[in-house]
Amino acid sequence: MAEHLSRLLADLQEDQVIETVKERLATGEPAIGIIDELQKGMELVGQKYQAQEYYLSELIMSADIFKTATALMGDAFKASNDKIGKIVLGTVYEDIHDIGKDIVAIVLSCNGIEVIDLGVSVPIESFVEAVRQHKPEFVGLSCLLTTAYDNMKATVAALDASGLHEGRKILIGGGPVDETTRDYVNADAFCKNAQEAADMVKKILGVK
Amino acid sequence: MTQASDLYAQRLQRIQRAVALEKQDRVPVVPLADSFCAKYLGETLSVFCTGTAEAATNAQIKAITSLGEIDGFQHATFNANLLSTLWLSKVKMSGVELPEDNLWQVEETELMKTEDYDVIIRDGWQKFIDDFWMYRLDNLGARVGPIFAALPAAIQAWKDIGIVPFSPVIVTIPYEYFCGARSMREFIKDLFRRPDKVQEAMDVAIPVLIEQTRQICRGFKLHGIWVGGWRAASEFLSRPLWERFVFPYYKQMIEAVVAEGVVPVLHWDSNWTRDLEYLLQFPKAKCVFSPDGATDIFKAKEVLGDHMCIMGDVPSEMLALATPEKVTEYCKRLISEIGPTGFILAQGCDIPPNAKPENVRALIASVHN
Repeated sequence: MAEHLSRLLADLQEDQVIETVKERLATGEPAIGIIDELQKGMELVGQKYQAQEYYLSELIMSADIFKTATALMGDAFKASNDKIGKIVLGTVYEDIHDIGKDIVAIVLSCNGIEVIDLGVSVPIESFVEAVRQHKPEFVGLSCLLTTAYDNMKATVAALDASGLHEGRKILIGGGPVDETTRDYVNADAFCKNAQEAADMVKKILGVK
Repeated sequence: MTQASDLYAQRLQRIQRAVALEKQDRVPVVPLADSFCAKYLGETLSVFCTGTAEAATNAQIKAITSLGEIDGFQHATFNANLLSTLWLSKVKMSGVELPEDNLWQVEETELMKTEDYDVIIRDGWQKFIDDFWMYRLDNLGARVGPIFAALPAAIQAWKDIGIVPFSPVIVTIPYEYFCGARSMREFIKDLFRRPDKVQEAMDVAIPVLIEQTRQICRGFKLHGIWVGGWRAASEFLSRPLWERFVFPYYKQMIEAVVAEGVVPVLHWDSNWTRDLEYLLQFPKAKCVFSPDGATDIFKAKEVLGDHMCIMGDVPSEMLALATPEKVTEYCKRLISEIGPTGFILAQGCDIPPNAKPENVRALIASVHN
């Protein structure tokens, strides 16, 4: 039964996932076990993505099914927060592109990382405030415009100045981002794609 | 004039030899720049991005010709409203929604609803798009009409100085229109939730788009035309989806363009490396593959080198941050490993606004030195 729900989600069988969750909740089954199975389903999705069987298309669809299914369980999902780490993530100020950031958010979530997604065109002070509030192990900065490099650099500088860089890693990514960019903005690491971000985060956390 | 027309003929032949995979005197260089030209000349982006076609062309010519000798230029003019015609999305404009010197950006929201697939199927693509431009893109036709009307003069302005405006019009497949109009996240969910409906609407749209492309090729007497791709990239879609919703439509469009005697320039942003072998199905020595730096251009050479000209791909990050020496080194590598035959040197996608002028100069100079 347990494997069944995980497999249905991994196979993107939306109607069957929702129907199964509703049926099991109706029998009085505790939500926590169902959530665990859904999370295992997302792990399977992550494995398929890593194996290049799935792409962004399947990540978006699976994340949507997961969101719909967990919404059926209300606050039980929030209470079940069993994460290996946390990242504050956003597209830097004056850049409104979200696809790359969203891919990273989904893949990190599939890998057990709690993602605090600040959205796009995030003001520097919002990054600082979010890091102060959530105390993540990682900060993820994304951009698609080369003209956003300077705001990325300023965001890193603001975290440095406020002492919030210490003890955490700042990762950067996005279409025009490479090692030269990392050097320019003084970030800790550059991630070429979402999977590399997940691998790097897990490696730094010492999680296999 | 004679000198300019001679130069034009020489440069056009150089580009045509590259497309035909024939032996060259040297690799042609055919860049594209818009916001960079404005920044370089000290113009504000707000003025440049919504000004007249003539003003944009003049700025492009003035800027790029001051940085070296080029064979062609990929477009003939610029106006940021044109982006809406391709993305079916609104554009945040410099000086309107954004500070006057910030780069314009496409604002992707769900302007098209799921029920619009039925509208397309019932009323046809043209009726849908006419209404979409008018009511959901705030009378886009009024803003882009003057640009289209000015295009022949813009093309002629480049010819008059001996430079080939190689691919001055952009067309694309239904996937890109739908994806932009629905927003990427919603559209991708449509591919799972209502795939037959999406395909039916695409099948209604594609013959209309192909006929329009034919008329554009004839009307403007084009040598080349951009057949664009951005969100249809292999890196975003699993292969079954790509095989169903992307490739067949490109194949139809590209074959129609080639049948017109026009070169389809596959200006394909993001990463298409996985599916390069599919491009072998396009007519040999008739197309240009133009990746933006995300696709592995060296792999493209390996797969397509005997079949299709490759154009590119100095990355925007290199033009913005690297030294001229690094740019020259990369260009020389491209010229020797991707070229010298069947290769056109260019930036990946577009020269960014904050590219260093000395890096653009180094890019252009690398075909001459």
